Amino acid sequence: MKIFSESHKTVFVVDHCPYMAESCRQHVEFDMLVKNRTQGIIPLAPISKSLWTCSVESSMEYCRIMYDIFPFKKLVNFIVSDSGAHVLNSWTQEDQNLQELMAALAAVGPPNPRADPECCSILHGLVAAVETLCKITEYQHEARTLLMENAERVGNRGRIICITNAKSDSHVRMLEDCVQETIHEHNKLAANSDHLMQIQKCELVLIHTYPVGEDSLVSDRPKKELSPVLTSEVHSVRAGRHLATKLNILVQQHFDLASTTITNIPMKEEQHANTSANYDVELLHHKDAHVDFLKSGDNHLSGSSREGSFKETITLKWCTPRTNNIELHYCTGAYRISPVDVNSRPSSCLTNFLLNDPRYKIDGNLEIPLERAKDQLEKHTRYWPMIISQTTIFNMQAVVPLASVIVKESLTEEDVLNCQKTIYNLVDMERKNDPLPISTVGTRGKGPKRDEQYRIMWNELETLVRAHINNSEKHQRVLECLMACRSKPPEEEERKKRGRKREDKEDKSEKAVKDYEQEKSWQDSERLKGILERGKEELAEAEIIKDSPDSPEPPNKKPLVEMDETPPVEKSKGPVSLLSLWSNRINTANSRKHQEFAGRLNSVNNRAELYQHLKEENGMETTENGKASRQ
Amino acid sequence: MPTVVVMDVSLSMTRPVSIEGSEEYQRKHLAAHGLTMLFEHMATNYKLEFTALVVFSSLWELMVPFTRDYNTLQEALSNMDDYDKTCLESALVGVCNIVQQEWGGAIPCQVVLVTDGCLGIGRGSLRHSLATHSQRSESNRFPLPFPFPSKLYIMCMANLEELQSTDSLDCLERLIDLNNGEGQIFTIDGPLCLKNVQSMFGKLIDLAYTPFHAVLKCGHLTADVQVFPRPEPFVIDEEIDPIPKVINTDLEIVGFIDIADISSPPVLSRHLVLPIALNKEGDEVGTGITDDNEDENSANQIAGKIPNFCVLLHGSLKVEGMVAIVQLGPEWHGMLYSQADSKKKSNLMMSLFEPGPEPLPWLGKMAQLGPISDAKENPYGEDDNKSPFPLQPKNKRSYAQNVTVWIKPSGLQTDVQKILRNARKLPEKTQTFYKELNRLRKAALAFGFLDLLKGVADMLERECTLLPDTAHPDAAFQLTHAAQQLKLASTGTSEYAGYDHNITPLQTDFSGSSAERM
Repeated sequence: MKIFSESHKTVFVVDHCPYMAESCRQHVEFDMLVKNRTQGIIPLAPISKSLWTCSVESSMEYCRIMYDIFPFKKLVNFIVSDSGAHVLNSWTQEDQNLQELMAALAAVGPPNPRADPECCSILHGLVAAVETLCKITEYQHEARTLLMENAERVGNRGRIICITNAKSDSHVRMLEDCVQETIHEHNKLAANSDHLMQIQKCELVLIHTYPVGEDSLVSDRPKKELSPVLTSEVHSVRAGRHLATKLNILVQQHFDLASTTITNIPMKEEQHANTSANYDVELLHHKDAHVDFLKSGDNHLSGSSREGSFKETITLKWCTPRTNNIELHYCTGAYRISPVDVNSRPSSCLTNFLLNDPRYKIDGNLEIPLERAKDQLEKHTRYWPMIISQTTIFNMQAVVPLASVIVKESLTEEDVLNCQKTIYNLVDMERKNDPLPISTVGTRGKGPKRDEQYRIMWNELETLVRAHINNSEKHQRVLECLMACRSKPPEEEERKKRGRKREDKEDKSEKAVKDYEQEKSWQDSERLKGILERGKEELAEAEIIKDSPDSPEPPNKKPLVEMDETPPVEKSKGPVSLLSLWSNRINTANSRKHQEFAGRLNSVNNRAELYQHLKEENGMETTENGKASRQ
Repeated sequence: MPTVVVMDVSLSMTRPVSIEGSEEYQRKHLAAHGLTMLFEHMATNYKLEFTALVVFSSLWELMVPFTRDYNTLQEALSNMDDYDKTCLESALVGVCNIVQQEWGGAIPCQVVLVTDGCLGIGRGSLRHSLATHSQRSESNRFPLPFPFPSKLYIMCMANLEELQSTDSLDCLERLIDLNNGEGQIFTIDGPLCLKNVQSMFGKLIDLAYTPFHAVLKCGHLTADVQVFPRPEPFVIDEEIDPIPKVINTDLEIVGFIDIADISSPPVLSRHLVLPIALNKEGDEVGTGITDDNEDENSANQIAGKIPNFCVLLHGSLKVEGMVAIVQLGPEWHGMLYSQADSKKKSNLMMSLFEPGPEPLPWLGKMAQLGPISDAKENPYGEDDNKSPFPLQPKNKRSYAQNVTVWIKPSGLQTDVQKILRNARKLPEKTQTFYKELNRLRKAALAFGFLDLLKGVADMLERECTLLPDTAHPDAAFQLTHAAQQLKLASTGTSEYAGYDHNITPLQTDFSGSSAERM
């Protein structure tokens, strides 16, 4: 169906003149006898709907089905006509729902049987209908704006469904002529307006309705072209359920609907909760849903829908769905449905079963969220090793706190702190000579040496962080921290050493001094590492050390006696390394944030003796198990 | 998309072609030459596709059922005998049967008809078929349009002048028309020779058998892929937007979503996504998928060792139970997912959604989908125990909003009985009683059915008189109050018949001394 076919705009014109207040002469028993009633009660007399009530409820049913299956882009404008036209809603999408229409109809109320019939006419409504068809809908407006110079490609077609009580065939012809003339006039007006559109095609569906038992004064007439713009058809229908059936047929024709009946749905009985019976539910939907069925030749067509309406329905047997929703099934189409008998018990059981999902809604952002999603993917994939054995850092739990936040667009102070902590932790691991999860697949022997492993790890981490330094100043700070803390690759040092020899001879520029200083610290740390290596090798190899920073320290570790050589190294030498500069700064900053540990305040040479009270109680043995405090 | 090659083996195909060389060719040799070229092309670029070979004269025969073995097809070409006259209709009926048996009615299929443009004589000739076309009954329906999505390509072993000298071309054009315009006629340009046949089949290959190569992207990760079968252009709306949309050759992943959330969405078509290795010159070296064929060049093995994003993506989607949403063009999306072939084997596949800003209503507008980290609160909950999907529509559908329909008497009776049932359980059911009462009141006012309000008011008054002695005194008060309010509404005066007005329970207090407030 084209977007702007006749079905884009439907105008209902319902007669509100005094004779519409007449009874349809079809009785409804509403006072049904319920069991356990006292004997001898006479039920209240049955009541009957007026022609107006029949017309309104049938048109509402038409709209209900239409809105269910086409919640957008298929619009209804509702007009009632008596001494004038009352337009109950507009083409805007907000006005397109049953509640709005019901409220507006309640405000109009039933026709007044005592009003002067001479003043009242359906013509007012028909003229208003033509007028409203010329009004542009938001969808037409949008399409026109989008197409710019091709705006004329946007069609303006519509349908007028007029429910009235006509006097004769010539009366009907008079109504048709009036519509045709009005279209002619309004198209002239619309030609000179930006807000109106000329009607290209109008389908007039005139429904003459009359009380059951009376003879119709109007004859049926199939669709006929009255002019290139206007076609008209006449239906003469008895009121009551006949009118409802007619509109049900029309909504299916107008919107290309078809019917499917789901059979054998097991449902618990209302009266006897423990028993279950099988029910059928008939659904309407767009007829495309049947295309593949009909093509396969395997049609489950059954001729007789209940109520004996004209159309055929395809029957499907109910199959209780498995609750496995992690499987993706091949699906060629999904269609909106509307139950034919919406508030019958089987229908509501079925729809409630299908609707029982918990629902939730996200608020839209100012920025287009999907663009933000693309942006996030870009950031996350700046550094993304594709093979597990080709990455070290993504195999290390210890790196997770940094890797998970560095890809963010912006970092909080806390994020930066966490990144720094991660880096310090890695420095610590390196100092302790913890093994790294470097793959030895494809290499001979034990794989790279420990210091080589750390060099690989630091390089990789630097690559990751560098990929994000332009995100924000805080990302830059993470890199600064990383560069200050990481050990330098030996080749670089070799190169610098060679360079220094040359530079020594030439000039003593600042750069050279810096290099020298860096190298000094490198040598220091190398030396330190060597010491640590020697001291810890056997220990480290023997123990399984998890790379998680959360892992507890192994108990009964030997005190790292060599540690006491570290601080003097930094203090005694003249030039200060970047590492110690940084550490000092961090330490000073950190020390301001907390009260200094009592132990550290009382320490000698940065060593505090623990469990002194035990010593006092038990003698000297425990000191051997005491652990030197770090930092 | 499977292909059926329908080869004319009538006597007229043995007509000699005058060629400047020493060898003498017949038209069927030219045809075989062209088909060889097609098969070779498919063996390289379409090796996953199935092709069948049908030969026909007055009878038809399935020479090679659907196969991926192009050698078998090739061999069959050289083993064709010559038969009697051309009878196209029965051959097309045969094609219908073969395709429907193998693929059903939903899989698109290409039919390549190779003929010399001599359409037979008498009964069964195409002229005869077309002349009787309008007098067909359902039982002997003409096989076109094919009962499955199709393209009919007619390869004529004749040049245009020859075809135009008779009405052959007109008849063949009618065939395409009968197939709803789906298809095309190819004729030989210039004299009948191998070179011109090649160029004709070259045109067919360009039109229907060029592989679709694309670059799959996810941020900085990329892979060269072949999308198979080739995605066909799609027309959204013939009136407003008549230009067929083709998908981008840059397929950009925009995000990932749980399978449960996307829940088997409707798709236009499904395609395999096969990684391809490109060497430095940009030539295709081979697809990355493994193949049993021993002769497969070593490029496949090399390609197998290079890490490929497709492998990463496929593995991740499978493990996580997710699909990747991929942008196919402006306001056009699709999904990438892992599809299990068998228990052991699965493939990376891509399905195309219908173009538009909101192809899947339960996900809302595609452009409004965003990263979880942007949400104030994780929409999936901290324990991943909920989901933001499906989205609730702004206006509920009728079946989700308890609408009132009284077209059938049973609908009205049910609603009245609900009120009555609750009336007998007053005051315990006061809330439900008034809720049902107000629902009925609203509908009656909208439908202008004021008699019903009066009738129900009478009914409630009667109920009041029937109350047993043991009844709570409040029951009588509420019934009287409700009846009175309905009667007022039934006058239709705006004061009492407001649609948004609700009848509220009468405030009574039987707990203490101040029992009487009326």
